[in-house]
Amino acid sequence: MDILALLPQAGLNGLVIGAMYALMAIGFSLVFGTMRIVNFAHGEFYMIGSFVAFFTYAQWEVPFALTILIAIAVVGVAGAAIEWVVVRPLRTDELSSMIATLGVSVVLQNGALMFFGASPRPMPDVVSGLVHLGPAIFSASRIFVIVAATVVIGAFWLFMQKSRTGRAMRAVAQDQEAALLQGVDVERIFPFAFAIGVVLAAVAGVLMAPVFSVSPFVGATPMLKAFIVVILGGLGSIPGAVLGGLLIGMIESFGATFLGGVTADMLQLGVVIAILLVRPAGLMGRKEA
Amino acid sequence: MTGGLTIDRIDVSYGPRSALRGVSLEVAEREIVALIGSNGAGKTTTLRAIMGLTPPDRGTIRFEGTDITRLAPPAVVKLGITLSPEGRRVFPQMSVEENLQLGAYLKTDTVEIAHTMKRVYAYFPRLLERRGQMAGSLSGGEQQMLAIGRALMAKPRLLLLDEPSLGLAPIRVQEIGQIIREINAEEGISIVLVEQNANMALRLCQRAYVIESGAIALSGTGAELAASEHVRRAYLGG
Ligand SMILES: Nc1ncnc2c1ncn2[C@@H]1O[C@H](COP(=O)(O)OP(=O)(O)O)[C@@H](O)[C@H]1O
Ligand SMILES: [Mg+2]
Repeated sequence: MDILALLPQAGLNGLVIGAMYALMAIGFSLVFGTMRIVNFAHGEFYMIGSFVAFFTYAQWEVPFALTILIAIAVVGVAGAAIEWVVVRPLRTDELSSMIATLGVSVVLQNGALMFFGASPRPMPDVVSGLVHLGPAIFSASRIFVIVAATVVIGAFWLFMQKSRTGRAMRAVAQDQEAALLQGVDVERIFPFAFAIGVVLAAVAGVLMAPVFSVSPFVGATPMLKAFIVVILGGLGSIPGAVLGGLLIGMIESFGATFLGGVTADMLQLGVVIAILLVRPAGLMGRKEA
Repeated sequence: MTGGLTIDRIDVSYGPRSALRGVSLEVAEREIVALIGSNGAGKTTTLRAIMGLTPPDRGTIRFEGTDITRLAPPAVVKLGITLSPEGRRVFPQMSVEENLQLGAYLKTDTVEIAHTMKRVYAYFPRLLERRGQMAGSLSGGEQQMLAIGRALMAKPRLLLLDEPSLGLAPIRVQEIGQIIREINAEEGISIVLVEQNANMALRLCQRAYVIESGAIALSGTGAELAASEHVRRAYLGG
């Protein structure tokens, strides 16, 4: 196959992975921005999303839209509960709360291992068929992932910009005490922010379940990449997370297609380091006060 | 006194460090009360105690007959007290208008919010000109206007202003002073004005308290204090 035919496929795959990284990074960034907590369990919520997709869609054959709603409900409630029970009592101490999320990660991963076993489970695509765009032919299932991720990110953006609660979350992220002085009940915002953050990870897990397979360990790589994307894009910046996610996704995809996976990973880190040397606060980041 | 604010012998500390000792203070309805004192005297701490940010170890704070000593800030705001904090503390990455909307966070009547916002813009036309601009990009004087405007959005009956003249050019200090007087007269809002700039504060207020090392050292009408030997030497540079 000639190189020209590979380009569109590499671009499409870059968009798919990039959209997933962006979803992961936005959720991670929301939790860190509002609560100043590094959520080491973020990847596990991606994993739970994947399992919800596997069981509801592949096993019980519920419609995919309903699968997404179930994942949002399950992970949203679990996230709020974990914030309430595990994170809240330790929140005054940054280190303890980080260790707490690490503990949550270990428990969730081993719980999944115990109940579902280690072997990866493949999942069928949500839509089938091919899409012809000019001379290039794309798999409809990949395009579906990109469209769905875009819709979710767009909805989240609107929520943060336009809704009263979204505005309150941004206020808490910018100046917690000043937010309190406007009447924002910060203690009520935290579980909500945590839940929305991990729900975004779960949605990423649902959408990617047919692309990668489903296992207790699938959350690790997205978590690591989200971390890199957040630092690259700028802490707390939604546009930065989208931009950073797409950039990392593209490098990964084109690198893997033309240079091989290991070189792609090195190239990725090289680009990240180069960008941070020029812009220490990240692509769209502002200096921390 | 049923209306207004009554602080009765409060002690406040930051951990082991005592900041206020037996501070008592009254604000009648529609009154402007100045609280003056040098840096570190305990002015900000007094306002923080009222808002519920740093609750007292001892003593009580009552507002319009309700004990608010142990209430959290949102509950205090709901009862009708707001603070324009020291250092302005506007939300830098939000527009002027979003900052104002946050001030009305506990209000649900959108017609009322729009009406209040109109009044705030009437007091501070500069904010109207800059309504879409990020608050972080405003000048110090504009941020001060925004902090006061934001505190007005909750339609308080008691407004606490922590050093509104800090870092402003003399002409801006005059302007802000004039607006504070108007807000008090037209909205019927009681005001506690915390200032190191004793000159401006004593001219604006009806009554004033002098705080020194965490305790009230003197109190009286603005004119009395302005005439006092001690105040003139320590706070008016004469
Ligand atoms: N967050 C804090 N932690 C510890 N001590 C504080 C804190 N804030 C203020 N103080 C101390 O409390 C005292 C009163 O401070 P403050 O109320 O800020 O004074 P003012 O507003 O009159 O300048 C000072 O001695 C100050 O050092
Ligand atoms: Mg002060």
